Amino acid sequence: MGYVFATFQSLLATLRQGLATPSTVEYPKAKRPRAPRLRASFALTKDAQGDENCIGCKKCEKVCPSEVIAVVASKKPSPVTGKPRAYATDFTLNLQACIVCELCVQVCPTDAIVMVQEQEGPGFDRGDLVLTMEKLYRNGESKERLAWSSASVLGEHQKPAEAPAPAQRPAHAPVPVPAASAEPPGKEPAA
Amino acid sequence: MTNDPWLRALLEGAAVVTALMTAVAWITWLERKIAGRIQSRLGPTMVGPFGLLQPLADAVKSMQKESIVPRDADALLFWLAPPLTLALALGTAAVIPFSPGLLASDVDIGVLYALALSGLLSFPIWIAGWASNNKYSLLGGMRMVAQGISYEIPMVLSALVPVVLAGTLSMGGVVRHQAEHGWFVVSAPGVGFVAFLVFLLTALAEGNRIPFDIPEAESELVAGPTTEYTAIQWSLFAAAEYAHSLLASAIAATLFLGGWDGPVLPPAVWMVLKTGALFLLITWLRWSLLRLRSDQLMSLCWKLLVPLTLLLLLGAGTWVTLAT
Repeated sequence: MGYVFATFQSLLATLRQGLATPSTVEYPKAKRPRAPRLRASFALTKDAQGDENCIGCKKCEKVCPSEVIAVVASKKPSPVTGKPRAYATDFTLNLQACIVCELCVQVCPTDAIVMVQEQEGPGFDRGDLVLTMEKLYRNGESKERLAWSSASVLGEHQKPAEAPAPAQRPAHAPVPVPAASAEPPGKEPAA
Repeated sequence: MTNDPWLRALLEGAAVVTALMTAVAWITWLERKIAGRIQSRLGPTMVGPFGLLQPLADAVKSMQKESIVPRDADALLFWLAPPLTLALALGTAAVIPFSPGLLASDVDIGVLYALALSGLLSFPIWIAGWASNNKYSLLGGMRMVAQGISYEIPMVLSALVPVVLAGTLSMGGVVRHQAEHGWFVVSAPGVGFVAFLVFLLTALAEGNRIPFDIPEAESELVAGPTTEYTAIQWSLFAAAEYAHSLLASAIAATLFLGGWDGPVLPPAVWMVLKTGALFLLITWLRWSLLRLRSDQLMSLCWKLLVPLTLLLLLGAGTWVTLAT
């Protein structure tokens, strides 16, 4: 008889679920509130005068673990101030292999590359998944879409509270080996 | 209307099949909506208002796809199985009375005919399973035959209860008897109701629906006999399954729920309402229950349903003898 009882129990459960409001929303038409710290895609920013923040230092290109960032840099006169300075003449970020680790944002000295809350849409072509410089600056246009973090904000978060004194070194920290007793580097053990 | 009986039969048949296939198309929409709501989803929404044109989109899609025949399959039987399945599933519609006048053919042995076609339905599925030359298809086909043959017995025995009570094998006759003496599901004390439940259960098993979808068993057999089928041929199997469910609901409504009989509304509307309600019940069961194991299925059939239906038949006979 346990089967019969269980059958009615499951029927009741599905009935209750069927009469409840569905949890699915039709995504492009209705959007759920996003998590405040959501970070989905990338943008390049401009300063208050409309000059590009990026100085073409290639730190992001070097730090990127998936090597998806490519920067071409050169010096040219600023269109705003007229003074010559370094610019990125081309900046691409290939989302196909991007692991969204945000390291590029953390190393940026000028807060030029930041993250945005909006995801990139699907594309019909692999090329659609490459964020070109044009797309990156378009992503940076609306300030409310920008995610909370930028290099300076993150740097503020990660700044140590105070410089640790040598006596307060944590127990698990490696003890520095005196240079004299250390093995010379590159020496193979005797066979 | 023309007087040529062959042309007349052809036209009537075409009308019934068209109506039925339209109904089958939109009950797939209904089923997907219900499944969606039960799983807290929305179901089809994008094609047409409330996704109502989804069945059309699906039909066009499946017609455009490539029909693949496996290299080592028995090509003739492989091609033959899907239309045969659908034809047998749709064939039952000929004897279902939708209203006193709306009945393709009121043969004297309507119940027998419907049950015979339903019993034959195992065989094209077995053909499909064998012709595919695939172990999953073969196992699914064998399960289908085992299940179909076992469940035919309680199905026929439970369908005999209204036949005994009404004293006729004609579908129209059974309904007319119920219109006079009350629906069998309530009239004969207990017997009719239990027979109704047994008939519904066995119809689910015959139609290969959850909780008796052992031949298909996606978690074990990929898709059972339909594993190798693609495109429109797969759609024919799907349509046959839905048509069988719908027609089993219609037969249950006819035999036990008084068919077209009902107050105020026109007879055809009553029939559609009852069939629809039973189909909703089947769908609800499908999305609520788990699949039985093969041995559980067999023990349910042989140890419970067969003795029970024999007792029901005895009860129905006693009731008729006492009543007259």
